[in-house]
Amino acid sequence: MREGERAESEERKAMNESVETPSTFGFHGRYLRIDVTTGCAESISLDPQTLRRFLGGSGLGTYLMLREGAARIEPLDAAAPLAFVFSPLVGSPLTTSAKFAVVSRSPLTRRINDSLASSGLAIAGKKTGYDALVIVGRAAEPSILVIDDGRVRLEPAGTLWSQTIPEVESALRERFGNEFKTAVIGPAGERQVHYATISHDRRHAGRGGSGAVLGAKNIKAVAIRGTHRSDWAHPQQLVALAKSISEKSFGPATAKYRELGTASNLLVFNRLHALPTRNFQQGSFEAAAVLSPEQLSATREKARNSCVACTIGCEHIYSLDDPGDESSAGVRLEYENLFALGPLCGIDDADVVLRASRRCDELGIDTISTGGTIAFAMECVERQFLDEPWLRFGDGAALLRAIDLIGNREALGNRLAQGSRHLALDIGHDTIHFAPQVKGLEIPGYEPRALQTMALGFAVGTRGADHNRSGAYEVDFSDDVDRRDVRPEAARLAVETEDRATLIDSLILCKFLRGVFDEFWDEMAEMLHLVTGWDTTADELRATAQRIVNAKKQFNILAGWTPDEDTLPERFLSQALPDDARAALSSDRLAALVRAYNVARDWTGDGYLSSEQTAELELEL
Amino acid sequence: MRSRTLLLFIKHDRIMNVTVELFGIPRARAGVAVTTATGANLGDVLADLARRFPDLAETCIDDRSLKPGTMASLAGDRFVTDPDTPLEEGACLLILSADAGG
Repeated sequence: MREGERAESEERKAMNESVETPSTFGFHGRYLRIDVTTGCAESISLDPQTLRRFLGGSGLGTYLMLREGAARIEPLDAAAPLAFVFSPLVGSPLTTSAKFAVVSRSPLTRRINDSLASSGLAIAGKKTGYDALVIVGRAAEPSILVIDDGRVRLEPAGTLWSQTIPEVESALRERFGNEFKTAVIGPAGERQVHYATISHDRRHAGRGGSGAVLGAKNIKAVAIRGTHRSDWAHPQQLVALAKSISEKSFGPATAKYRELGTASNLLVFNRLHALPTRNFQQGSFEAAAVLSPEQLSATREKARNSCVACTIGCEHIYSLDDPGDESSAGVRLEYENLFALGPLCGIDDADVVLRASRRCDELGIDTISTGGTIAFAMECVERQFLDEPWLRFGDGAALLRAIDLIGNREALGNRLAQGSRHLALDIGHDTIHFAPQVKGLEIPGYEPRALQTMALGFAVGTRGADHNRSGAYEVDFSDDVDRRDVRPEAARLAVETEDRATLIDSLILCKFLRGVFDEFWDEMAEMLHLVTGWDTTADELRATAQRIVNAKKQFNILAGWTPDEDTLPERFLSQALPDDARAALSSDRLAALVRAYNVARDWTGDGYLSSEQTAELELEL
Repeated sequence: MRSRTLLLFIKHDRIMNVTVELFGIPRARAGVAVTTATGANLGDVLADLARRFPDLAETCIDDRSLKPGTMASLAGDRFVTDPDTPLEEGACLLILSADAGG
């Protein structure tokens, strides 16, 4: 291996030095910083106070990005850091806790990006003896980064470079055995498509382009194995609590995910005119029933699956039409890939949607940004701003062709590979007004005019338009607001959903579990207490969530954020939904919501941190 | 004043025919996508549905209210939770699984 012996020696030295690092239950109290240019790795201490204030996952990842100065480094530069971050709950008996975050500056948005994924890599990663793995530099040639119980080496990727994700995952299993867990990029990551993903076991850290960041480092895959366990402060009580939560997770609060999957949103959203269709030109799709899981289940469903250490089992895998197709092992369908590759592109053929989803997974591209960018291009063609007459709404062959072009960055695909914002600015003619993005991140399947608290969540989201970092749609789906006439008073409710998501993403748990908790903040505090021994309270966790959101905002400010980013494209602010006249959102109303949100966060009215908040974060670093 | 009170009483005691659209788990449990139900208010309609669809009741309905994880909306215009919410003749009630995401 290149630089291997030196790296191992340096790392061992660092590990020896770190023996004196004070440890905390649930954590290892250190992270491993790996420079793939030199092959050197360094163990760096994380003090208990920092861990308590940022936890793990998104929170700790954001802290590490600030500490690394990532906000001022171009996302695809060799020096740009990318972190795999674990959490205090990983490895515990708590259901859905096998999750990890990938955190970096996004090449798509140029803002903070934290993508989460699940399963064995989280457990293996934490067993390396580190709470996070931070990767910087650029390998001299395409490589596999191997982290074996804390020892680091690079191996040539060889012929794996240019192969698809399933091919690479299979080859790495053969090469390293099942003990190693892998994170892999596809051809899209190698070619630095700005919304390339990182896949683990076919689950993707999908949004914001972390795959491109890894690809820019010449790293095709990371293979991880470990034996270090972290202790829990109150193991017996933790096991009892875990058992109780698991039992609840079999109940009605998760039945939707277990029995139908997230795709069951489709008909509900369609009925509420909240289903983005043909690049957000409509809020309902005439062929929604054909694509619904209720219909697909009748003829197609092959299997259900779950992540490691999960009792919910939300993954629903559907077969393709052609049973003779050698790669027809089934395709996992979620609401977001269904919406983005179906109604958003005007596609009414379920087989095309499944094939398009599978191709995105093979190439390693985010389905939401892929569908959003292609749908935008389709509208540009329709309006004669783009001379690609083959790319039409409803044309399944065109959709599949466009996906391949993106993954390989060929012809039009090279322009689509940088997302809808970049394409709009390239095309001109004010097409930016209907590019379906916020801060460059394509809008997920929630029509903002029909779900206006969610519109606020999209506008202020630190990683752009995002339904996972803000759960503001929960407010729209309640009797607290009129979802098509949301007033500034709803901003506090949006903050609450964002804070809950922030905490869940930092502990880390699956959000599909959230319905089983009666007293969310108290129960989270108890959970953390049993793992870490800290006398955590609900109020402390609320403050922690706010601190983490502040840290993300601070990152963005350092990266060049300005208040005018916290808005939606002009289309959403000047046109009512054609199929629901009541679904109208003005720029004045959205501005009032954003201002109320900023006030609720104790930020300045236009969204900057207060001087006290900035000072607190600077002190942390 | 007395006659107005009497009118209100009569109105609230009237049996309304309501169209009920079911989505997600409620649809799976009831085995139908659309049905009709009767009642003067949300609680009455839910009780009527519970009598006719025991599997739906087991997962989604608790007496005259919806269990956590299930929601109701009046024609998609507003979400309702109060069992005493009055329903008009010919109203359309959507019953759906709570929590989006995915």
